[in-house]
Amino acid sequence: MTNPAIKVENLSKTFLTREGFWKRKTKKINAVDDLSLQVEQGELYGLLGPNGAGKTTTVKMLATLLLPTSGSVRIFDLDAVKDTTEIRRRIGFAFGGNRGLYGRLSARDNLRYFAELYALPPEVTRRRIPELLEMMGLSGRENDRVETYSSGMTQRLHLARALLHDPQLVFLDEPTVGIDPVGARELRQMIKDLIKRGKTILLTTHYMAEADELCDHIAIIDHGRIKAEGTPSRLKTLVKKESIIQAKVEQKNLPALKNIVTPLESRFPVNYVNENPFVLINITTPEPAPILDELLPLLSQHVLDSLEVRNQTLEDVYVAIIQDKAA
Amino acid sequence: MSASFFRLGWRQMDVQLRTRVLNLWTMALFFIQPAIFSIVGMILSHAAGNTSPDLVYTVIGGGIMGMWSGLVFTSTYDIRTDRREGTLELIVGSPTSLRRVEGFRTLLNILAGLSSMAFAVLAAVLIFGYDFSGVNVTGIVISMLFILFALWCMGLFLANLLAWSRLSGTFVDLLEMPMALLCGFMYPISILPPWLQKVSAVFPIRWGLEGLRESMLSATFTPHLFSRWLLALGISLAFLLLARWLDGKVHDHIRITGELHSI
Repeated sequence: MTNPAIKVENLSKTFLTREGFWKRKTKKINAVDDLSLQVEQGELYGLLGPNGAGKTTTVKMLATLLLPTSGSVRIFDLDAVKDTTEIRRRIGFAFGGNRGLYGRLSARDNLRYFAELYALPPEVTRRRIPELLEMMGLSGRENDRVETYSSGMTQRLHLARALLHDPQLVFLDEPTVGIDPVGARELRQMIKDLIKRGKTILLTTHYMAEADELCDHIAIIDHGRIKAEGTPSRLKTLVKKESIIQAKVEQKNLPALKNIVTPLESRFPVNYVNENPFVLINITTPEPAPILDELLPLLSQHVLDSLEVRNQTLEDVYVAIIQDKAA
Repeated sequence: MSASFFRLGWRQMDVQLRTRVLNLWTMALFFIQPAIFSIVGMILSHAAGNTSPDLVYTVIGGGIMGMWSGLVFTSTYDIRTDRREGTLELIVGSPTSLRRVEGFRTLLNILAGLSSMAFAVLAAVLIFGYDFSGVNVTGIVISMLFILFALWCMGLFLANLLAWSRLSGTFVDLLEMPMALLCGFMYPISILPPWLQKVSAVFPIRWGLEGLRESMLSATFTPHLFSRWLLALGISLAFLLLARWLDGKVHDHIRITGELHSI
């Protein structure tokens, strides 16, 4: 039985801030509040939550960049407070955005510098840098100043930097933020490849589809606490099993639907979205079949422009959990 | 010391040179500011009717001023920039200590600052025709080494202060001119009130400078000169120990307050 990559027990972090000018008051902010989680080796674990939920603070405590106020963090069974140097050799981290690199240096020089900070032997540095530049699709631009890079290239360079010393555990804090869809898809593929190579990854993201696609386990956190935790499929069972029927209709045909939709409004949530000249009608129901039976003839009569049914997504689950509407 | 220590040193100084030192702002700091100090000092000295060249307090003073300003601004600016650009947490989050990184950076800043002194001396020779004959060359070299060591130790101490808090930058900025006045960069310490002379005694640069001036005015080694060197060395080491002690405190403090980054 191998040790878990991450074991967190009752972790809390309180920041002190001051407010007022003449009468200064110290205020406590509980960024992380009694959080516990465990990540097994080789797993991709997602932390989801709204802005200010405590995701980044949690990651920074795990990456030894912040000291916990209370609780314990063990990384590969090492204490994150006492064994910082050994842990830092075994982890890599990349935070989203354009910060965290020397813009006036090239990608190659940035990597060379960080290779020295991780005390990589010269022969390893000479092999790893071209390897990572190739893997991240930065070959050919490696000698350009980083300040000339696009957000996607910067993000890939962040990932290359985080992987430079071949860490066993990688923390990725919102890695696809600000990247175009093609770049984000490439980055997700790189993350999948890392898992295939046996890395353990802790990922924070706002994008539910990304978490659904990538993560083995997910924790949804809010106000520094875990609200729900489990595999994506298990999380989807936490909210009522409902389907969403979406009917697209031209505004002039809306009266023809009234007889069907109006009685439903007292039984299920129904909302209308105006997308001139169309109206989207969303009906959330546990029993879509009888409603579909009534609506399908209208589709063949061209009263309805389109009709779709979809199951709950992780995003629906997330919204329900954050708004405390989970079953 | 291992090979990786020297490789880190070389890479750190290379990065420092290209990201911080080789830019117009820093060049101006290293060259234009000391030149202004030196030239104004030389003009005032001539205007006051000094027939003998006032090499000690104008040329050397201007050079030291450039080295000190360069150190204050570059060493402290580095931390501020790293904090702003998000690279401070990457350095702190690596297995290499921030102290080691700061040590190499400060060393390069001081070596770059030596160009200020060279520039000031060159200006004195070429523009004002100053003569350097009859000076104690060995004494000058040793004194300069003590001054460089003093600046390095103080630079490490100041860099730690900057790392401590985002707000400490203002305090360090405030030190620039008072230090020049207290340590008598451009005039003799003896003209300061006695209590201020006592305050200036805690700064090792003052003693290194006194040694340098003595070596420029006399070709002999005197016990007085050795005592200046000893004081410069002792107080520098005290600053180094202080910086070392502060280093551990800073590492914990910034991880408690979360001041590793700023937006």
